[in-house]
Amino acid sequence: MPHNVMIVDDAAMMRLYIASFLKTLPDFKVVAQASNGQEALDKLADLPSVDLILLDIEMPVMDGLEFLRHAKLKTRAKIVMLSSVAVSGSAHAAKARELGADGVVAKPSGTVSHDLEEKSGDELARVMRDLMVAA
Amino acid sequence: MSDEMDEIWALYLDDGTQSLDAMEAALLAIQGDPQGENSEHISALFRAVHTFKGNSRVLGLGVVESRAHYAEDLIGLVRDEGVPMDDEILDILLYAGDVLRGMLEETSTARADVDPAASEDLLDQLKDKIARCREALGGGVPAEQEAVAPEPETVAEAEVEPVETVDDEPQSEVAVSETAEDVPVETEEAIGEEPEAAAVVEDAPEPEPAPEPTPEPKPVAKPSTGAAKRLIDDPTYRDIFTGMANDAVRKLQAIMGAMGPDYAASNTKARKEVDNLHHASGQMGLPRWVEFLGVFLKETPSNTDEDVERIAALVLLIQEAIETDLNGQSQSPVAPKDGNFFDKLEEALAVLSKAGMDWAAGEEPSADLIKANAALVNEAALEEGLVRVAETALNLCKADDAKSYRDAELRMYEELSAVERVLLEDGGVSRVRPSELLRNWCAGHAFDTITALDTILDRFKSGDHSDAAFSGFSRQMRLVFHACGHHKLDTAGQLAMSLIDLFSRVQTSGAGPDSILMHIARGFVDTIELVFDALEQGEIPDTQNLDALFEQASNAAFLSEGLLTATAIERKLNLPLEFHRVLSPDSVRTASAAIEAGQHFYIVRTDINSNDALAEKFFELISSDLVDSITNVTVFRGNETLFDFLLASSLEQGDFVARIAEIDPSGKDVSVLRTLEYNVETVADMKGNVTPDIDQGLNQGQGLTAEMLEDISEVAASQAMVNHMLSDLSEVDLSEAVETLIRNAKDNPASAFDGIRKMVAEHSARLQEICQVESQLVAQMAHLQEQTVAIRSKPVEVLIRPLEALVETISRRAKKEAKLTAAGGDLTIDVTLMENLRKILRSLITARFNGETAAPNSLHLSFHRDEERVLVTLEDDGGKSERNAIETEELQALLAQSGSDFRQLAVPGGGMRFHISMPLAMVVLEGMVVGVEGVRYVIPVDAIRSIVQPEPDALRRISAGNGQMMLRLEDGPLIGVHNLSKNGVKATSDSEGVTHRRVYVILNAGNRNLAIPVDELLGQQLVLLRPLRGVLRHLKNLTGIALLAGGEVGMVLSTNALSAVEEIAA
Repeated sequence: MPHNVMIVDDAAMMRLYIASFLKTLPDFKVVAQASNGQEALDKLADLPSVDLILLDIEMPVMDGLEFLRHAKLKTRAKIVMLSSVAVSGSAHAAKARELGADGVVAKPSGTVSHDLEEKSGDELARVMRDLMVAA
Repeated sequence: MSDEMDEIWALYLDDGTQSLDAMEAALLAIQGDPQGENSEHISALFRAVHTFKGNSRVLGLGVVESRAHYAEDLIGLVRDEGVPMDDEILDILLYAGDVLRGMLEETSTARADVDPAASEDLLDQLKDKIARCREALGGGVPAEQEAVAPEPETVAEAEVEPVETVDDEPQSEVAVSETAEDVPVETEEAIGEEPEAAAVVEDAPEPEPAPEPTPEPKPVAKPSTGAAKRLIDDPTYRDIFTGMANDAVRKLQAIMGAMGPDYAASNTKARKEVDNLHHASGQMGLPRWVEFLGVFLKETPSNTDEDVERIAALVLLIQEAIETDLNGQSQSPVAPKDGNFFDKLEEALAVLSKAGMDWAAGEEPSADLIKANAALVNEAALEEGLVRVAETALNLCKADDAKSYRDAELRMYEELSAVERVLLEDGGVSRVRPSELLRNWCAGHAFDTITALDTILDRFKSGDHSDAAFSGFSRQMRLVFHACGHHKLDTAGQLAMSLIDLFSRVQTSGAGPDSILMHIARGFVDTIELVFDALEQGEIPDTQNLDALFEQASNAAFLSEGLLTATAIERKLNLPLEFHRVLSPDSVRTASAAIEAGQHFYIVRTDINSNDALAEKFFELISSDLVDSITNVTVFRGNETLFDFLLASSLEQGDFVARIAEIDPSGKDVSVLRTLEYNVETVADMKGNVTPDIDQGLNQGQGLTAEMLEDISEVAASQAMVNHMLSDLSEVDLSEAVETLIRNAKDNPASAFDGIRKMVAEHSARLQEICQVESQLVAQMAHLQEQTVAIRSKPVEVLIRPLEALVETISRRAKKEAKLTAAGGDLTIDVTLMENLRKILRSLITARFNGETAAPNSLHLSFHRDEERVLVTLEDDGGKSERNAIETEELQALLAQSGSDFRQLAVPGGGMRFHISMPLAMVVLEGMVVGVEGVRYVIPVDAIRSIVQPEPDALRRISAGNGQMMLRLEDGPLIGVHNLSKNGVKATSDSEGVTHRRVYVILNAGNRNLAIPVDELLGQQLVLLRPLRGVLRHLKNLTGIALLAGGEVGMVLSTNALSAVEEIAA
């Protein structure tokens, strides 16, 4: 039974890249996508079965950190920040950890990283699987 | 009454029994150990009675409520005012518990309030004891206290509660009769409104001690009653009422369907249903419901089919109200909207916390008690959809020893803190603050946490890279984070979280932390230990190393891979701000290679988010061999999301632009925004320049700024120029030159005059040039002085935090929870002065806790300054101390060393107040330099009204002033003439001593003017004031000394002191 994933990213191309990468992981299935935090919160209310959320930080309407603050209260889903500004040890990464992000992975080449699978695929898959094992 | 009302009364009985049980348990615990640490029991006692009072109030039981209110007030005096819990109070409260229990049973059975006469004895005892306690506290009842006392309660207790509007209900009649005596009068208009009066009382800041020794009596702190509470705000009651309303709708619809021919019978049934709902609405605190149901009840049925329409209209109103008032409240989109979530958990959390303390004390708490209260938290959280809080609450039940219970408790508080953060930002209020409890605990156990972290780092060092080591590191570091939050150490907290992030990523990679990471982590642990230690000692911690470590943590990912840092690339390419901190190690690697290959860098703006075809073409280009994509950032333009790509390419600008134009010929959605210029330089050179030093020490930080260095260079250049010009000038022998000119003129002296005139004019011009450069030099020096002072100035806030920590630490040792508050934290003073002040205050505060008199529970610091001194007042509520107990040798030495004045006084009504007046150090002052009898004085320019050269007849001697010399300027008032001398400023009657001087400086000193004759005016200049020390301290009318531009020392006049200079006595 694959784990249900929601992708939250304002870049349409990035959502495509992530979804395309997740198709290569048989243990995960994309069940929802959202282009900002507010949309994600609305969708999450109707999708209690989401196991994991891949979350960008910089988005219009409601950014990823704000979403994280609210969503962490009401969902058991694991939340992984996937953002170009979440370079390890950075202030954004620290803030995400403070707000309860279960994992943080930096996009390899900017907010639209066409090389996500090539450069960060292994790391992302490992983080996601570790979290599902821990859950 | 309906089944639902039965349930409400049953709940009241159940809740009330629990509250009174808790009250009794607390009283018995105190009675068992009256000398012990009973603050927890007293708090529990207060909560129990407060809850019981509130429950009684919402059911309109005015008599019960009033008795509970007086009991609560008496407990409040013990809890908040330091009234000892003596045998008499214990007896009265035990008696009150018995009476209240009887009332609970009676009211639950009768569903009506009790006869007030039966409890008059209790009321009298409570009132009498409260009055005596207040008298002993300082006499009289301050206005604020009156506002919270039970009798005139209408202002203080504006808590919203339902109004009984059904006149024929027995309890409402009793409530009305009681209202006149004891309980607040509630008007219908008050329903549903914010409790403004209560808010005013509760929100009022703690009174600050007045600077002058004429204090007002301290107001008695009002126990927090929390936000206005209606029964409908309680989810349990709301669910009951919702069921009741839906049931009423169904019954009314059934009545409508069966209407006729016996209309009267149907109307009676309908009225009964509506009547029940109307009554319950009042109890719930739903004024709108009370209104529209009341309107229906007042209507006279027509006993025709029109009644069907009338009932149908009412059903619609009820359904609409259910949707807006009941369903809406249960569907909070994100989090509970107010503090009631926490308030209703208050007791359960207190019990769970107490269980933790029992564990810590080696006693195993009751598993049933933990289970019951954890279940309460769990249920309340689930009602709000707070699944994580709910889970952590249940985990408490799994704990089987002190450590596992503490861990579970901390995790629950972390989840509650997350809720609190959202809730309070959304405008909610709560008296329970989980984040504070969590932070306090973590701060109190910070050194244990640091020891644990040290052990874990040792494990890493010895090669243990197990998940247990990583999760232990993460857990302990999070506790440090909370402790940092307690001390408001933002950078340290951020660094703790950065380290959690860095170590978590290392864990994911399956490796162990490398030497860079270990260095940062160890450096952090060592530094934060010193910081906490300093705070505990009341010292100002050195946190500069934390900034350096944070910078290293931000760059760790780059350094670990032997790369340049992102900052280095940013600088090299002069990247715009939006690219700050977005370069990943991969981006840096690609950019470095592109720089070394001499490629060109371009920023391309794209609007491709909704145009797949264009996006595809663009990504084809950036994936090709022609272009390297370094990174890209989001640019928000209104609702549009654009992306700026940083690209590197071997293509020259023209060719590159042409390739972009092929993708989007219009240039509207994809265009080259900028071509980046950079100097070709090897990466190795860049590395040498920008890689941060991993071993930066504690002393790194603010020092000479670039601006100051620039100023110093300019000063040096100007000084050299003046030197050079003077040297040139000194080489000119004027007399010889004149002689030569005269000699050469021979028989035509007129021609010599022209030459001499020309030569003198040139000489004069060169002197003027020197003066100009010198003026410039003085201005530069003054600017430098100001910068120096600014760099040495810090806000007093820096001093307050360590003192707060000191108070917490030493009061904790004394088993107290004293708090320090402060005002004037934004005042800036010199760091040396700050350090002196810190030592003095530390000594003073320590003496207050170590003395033989009662230690204070609250202390308040206030800071002020005038032109010459910083004035500090410390006021507390501790016992009266003798001067020798406070002015220890250490304090005396500190006061003498800093030139401070000190005085103390006992505050009427209790407490002590200490005044410290310390001369300012390193103040830049704009002054007029004058000379009197060969001595230089500096008069602050702000104090000078005018400078005059009066006619001799303007000076006159007056007989009324015992012959004092006066100066009359035109038709103005007479101004006393005062001589300036080494002995200070004195009025003079010596006409000889003053008339020969022609220049008078007229000063504004307080409310009058003084005329000071001076020998010479040497000009205005900025001086750096230094306070007088040692024997110089006793010089009159002087603030300090200053080094003047010419190298002399100037005495700086004190305008404050001049205002006190006396005229000659008549």
